[in-house]
Amino acid sequence: MALLETFGMSVTFGGLKAVNEVDFRVEEGQLVGLIGPNGAGKTTFIDGITGFVPTTGRIMFDGNEIGALPAHRRAKDGLGRTWQSLELFDDLTIRENLQVAAEKQTVGSFFADLVAPRRKRDQSNVEFALDVLGIGDLADKMPNEISQGQRKLVSAARALAARPKLVCMDEPAAGLDTAESTELGQRLRSIIDAGMTIFLVDHDMGLVLNVCDYIYVIEFGVKIAEGTPDEVKRNPKVIEAYLGSSAESDTAAEGGE
Amino acid sequence: MKGSAIKYVRWGIAAVGLLLLLWIVIDSDTRAQFVTGSGIAQGALVAAIALGVVLTYRGSGVVNFANSAIAMYIAYVYAVLRKEGDLFLPPLPNPFAPIEGVVHWFQDTDTFDLPDWPTRISFGPNMQFWPAMLISLIFAIVLGLILHFLIFRPLRSAPPLAKVVASIGLFLYLPAVIIRRFTIQPYTVKPMPFFDNDAKPVKLPFGINIGADALTIAVLVVIFTVLLWVVFQMTRFGLATRAASENEKGAVVLGFSPEFLAGANWVISTLITGLLGIFAATIQKSIDPAVLPALIVPALTAALVGSFTSFGLTAVAAFALGMQFGLVKYLEIQHSWFPSSGGTPLPGGERFIPLLVIVLVLYLSGKSLPTRGAISAGRLPFSPTPPRWAIRYGGPALALVTAILALFVLTPPFRLALSNTLIGVIICLSLVVLTGYVGQISLAQMSFAGISAFLVSKLTMEAPIKIPLPFSTKMLTIIPETPFPIPIIIGGIVAMLVGIIVAIPALRVRGVNLAIVTLAFAVAVDKVVFANKSVNGGFAGAKVEAPQLIVEPRDVSYKILGMKAGDGLQPNPMTAIFCLIVVVILAYAVANLRRSATGRRMLATRSNERAAAAAGVNVSGMKILAFAVSAFIAGVGGAVIAYRSGSVTVDKFTYVQSLTFLAFAYIGGITSVYGAISGGFIVAGGLVFTFLERILHVPSEFTLILGGIGLIFSAIMNPEGLAGAVRHTGAQLKALIGIRKAQAAPPPGPPPAAEPELATTAGGH
Repeated sequence: MALLETFGMSVTFGGLKAVNEVDFRVEEGQLVGLIGPNGAGKTTFIDGITGFVPTTGRIMFDGNEIGALPAHRRAKDGLGRTWQSLELFDDLTIRENLQVAAEKQTVGSFFADLVAPRRKRDQSNVEFALDVLGIGDLADKMPNEISQGQRKLVSAARALAARPKLVCMDEPAAGLDTAESTELGQRLRSIIDAGMTIFLVDHDMGLVLNVCDYIYVIEFGVKIAEGTPDEVKRNPKVIEAYLGSSAESDTAAEGGE
Repeated sequence: MKGSAIKYVRWGIAAVGLLLLLWIVIDSDTRAQFVTGSGIAQGALVAAIALGVVLTYRGSGVVNFANSAIAMYIAYVYAVLRKEGDLFLPPLPNPFAPIEGVVHWFQDTDTFDLPDWPTRISFGPNMQFWPAMLISLIFAIVLGLILHFLIFRPLRSAPPLAKVVASIGLFLYLPAVIIRRFTIQPYTVKPMPFFDNDAKPVKLPFGINIGADALTIAVLVVIFTVLLWVVFQMTRFGLATRAASENEKGAVVLGFSPEFLAGANWVISTLITGLLGIFAATIQKSIDPAVLPALIVPALTAALVGSFTSFGLTAVAAFALGMQFGLVKYLEIQHSWFPSSGGTPLPGGERFIPLLVIVLVLYLSGKSLPTRGAISAGRLPFSPTPPRWAIRYGGPALALVTAILALFVLTPPFRLALSNTLIGVIICLSLVVLTGYVGQISLAQMSFAGISAFLVSKLTMEAPIKIPLPFSTKMLTIIPETPFPIPIIIGGIVAMLVGIIVAIPALRVRGVNLAIVTLAFAVAVDKVVFANKSVNGGFAGAKVEAPQLIVEPRDVSYKILGMKAGDGLQPNPMTAIFCLIVVVILAYAVANLRRSATGRRMLATRSNERAAAAAGVNVSGMKILAFAVSAFIAGVGGAVIAYRSGSVTVDKFTYVQSLTFLAFAYIGGITSVYGAISGGFIVAGGLVFTFLERILHVPSEFTLILGGIGLIFSAIMNPEGLAGAVRHTGAQLKALIGIRKAQAAPPPGPPPAAEPELATTAGGH
């Protein structure tokens, strides 16, 4: 059974179908990519899966229907995400950013917090996330004290600190140069090796084609192709819609960030 | 709630509204009460305030809570010009004041008096209508310019919280100036020359007769509404303002600077608000500075009905909400079905209706998470983690010094001031959790405190309260008798439950809307609950039976460590010790909260709701938790007030008190426990003002004037408050010392990047 599967998922803004009847599946342990030109509805697709815009159709995650659950419930069930605009908690240190995602809250823990705020808690997930992205030395800095590239890693680390079953990454490579992008690809593979599943949305064709096991292509909210990287590369529809103009859209995306 | 259900609720509300309208149209008696001259004046006044609110919101994105105060201020300018021929001035900073202060320190009489700024500019014994009107309107224009340039333009990229806070500062300041220059008593307004008071009322269809003046103001409101609509729909100016509210670049493309648009809309707003305020005051024949500012609640309600965009909807809703005041008062007297309490009709129905409308509108229109692109610009003030030394040593040392002062050093007036300060700290702490940690705003903290305080009175005076069980002779105890500290907890819990109910709209709305809900709640509670005679115990207040140790003056002094504590005078030093114990417990709880996992989740919610939800934080749950904790603390504060004074009086818990405490909490620093302690020092009746009043002889009316100005100033210049300023100075000193050390002993082969890094970490955020 697939870890995540959508059946005819749509997102509608006003009269506009930003995501139109998309069927899609992610198998456990895979790195699945989603590509499409600017404005194809990629971020909206992630927003829909993770509960930030209302959807129609069905979304199955880990054997449960999650389409009606609020965002934080989906996150607790193991569906993590990162943001294109990073959205770090500016008032917290890097470690605290990760702790927010890693720690579980109960009624009892609230009362314990009033009396013993610094009691020992399991920090293994935080340490794991810092390690896997190699940012342990940044842990006690504030988000405004580190570089944009480092902020990207923190954003990913925060999603991983919750030890999600699946993490949806929204354009993690935007603004990175080729070398950085290759390094990111290696980091992503090491996350897969640590037992998580990744759903990657990106403009960077090189990255997506190199690291993904399986790729979906959407345009104007409609799925136009899917398959292994080799199949997608050869698909004439994809070549027409995206690859033919990939050079321009890449530069446009970077200029527009 | 699903979309279809919302639709049914909308239809339900529309149907109820229509039925009410039909009832008013069909029942001539009700209609006559609804459409009266003073009712129309009230409706027009609310409409004027509401139109001004919408206008400034569209022009500059500021929800102006002070617009009712502006209407009142300009009406005062006019009324005073007509009656006394003087233009009164707000208190200006006097360079001689420090000298006077120092002299007063040494000499207790008021004989020493250096020249002061003039308080008025006189134009003769009185003034005719037209010159008075002209000067008042010029004043309105100048006021609009001042508000734009000095207050809201500097705040243009600040978070919504800062703008709300600044407008609340203004809301406190303007009436405080009027009360300082005149009194809290209503001020009579001379009639206008062209309205003959003896003339017969104008006859309208449906048997409605109203005065020509009321008709004129109604027509004026309609004209202004239509004009505003036309300007916004048809002119380039209106188009540019609309464009600017979406995206400032839009206005630039149309050839307008967004700054100019914001300023122009401020001026138009103060002008219309002032003009209609003058007319309404004339029809009502007097201005009541104790009542008029509260009209901001129906005005904001109307603006909400119009989504802060539609002038037409806003004006209609404002008229209805203003005019229902008279009708509800009439129904209270005339109809037996009107809910009553203790034989008299339940008061405050007219204040409850706006609250109801607000909650419905917000509940139907709010979204639970901000959508893409709607995330507010500007950051809230930084909330520091309390350092280890402050928790381990600073707190206990401060508590010990306070206890020693209370027991052995302070004279009775300063002991009173100390307990006021300690109570202030409690209320400020309640705001630290809600506003400082979670970024939500409440303008009803003293309402929560009051609910708890009056409950404590009931628990100590009337418990056990029993009611007969049906079909048996047994009695059911609904409120059991409880010994001393327990009523504090019960008061806190009940306040907390009320807080949770108020927070429910917070699940779907945020920021400014929440300020509106809580303000409406506070005003409604003032009238519906606290003005209720069976609650407030009448003129003398509701008595509280407090333990002897806390309230009794006792001529016997306490022996503590062989030293004599107290002088047998009120207040007993133990009162301050009692307050201190509560403060220490709460301060540690609030500081611990910031250092804990819960605190991190709260700050995550404040910082970015969407990212917090993606990290598994239940954003709605966090807001409710914050409201619950905050209302609990405020409730405990109320209970402490009750025990401290031995009786509970309404004046301590009005909505103005809630705003005042918010002001001092913000000035002190709303994001930290230090801030709450600093805030406690400067609350009304606290140590700082007692010092100013008793030693430097500054009149007590200056509390609100200074509070209002301080709040505006803090919002613009120093959003982290006094505590933040101290922390920054400390960090700068540390950085200086660090640099000096580095210069004294340069480390072998220092990396060139080390120094700027040091500067950023030390000077920090």
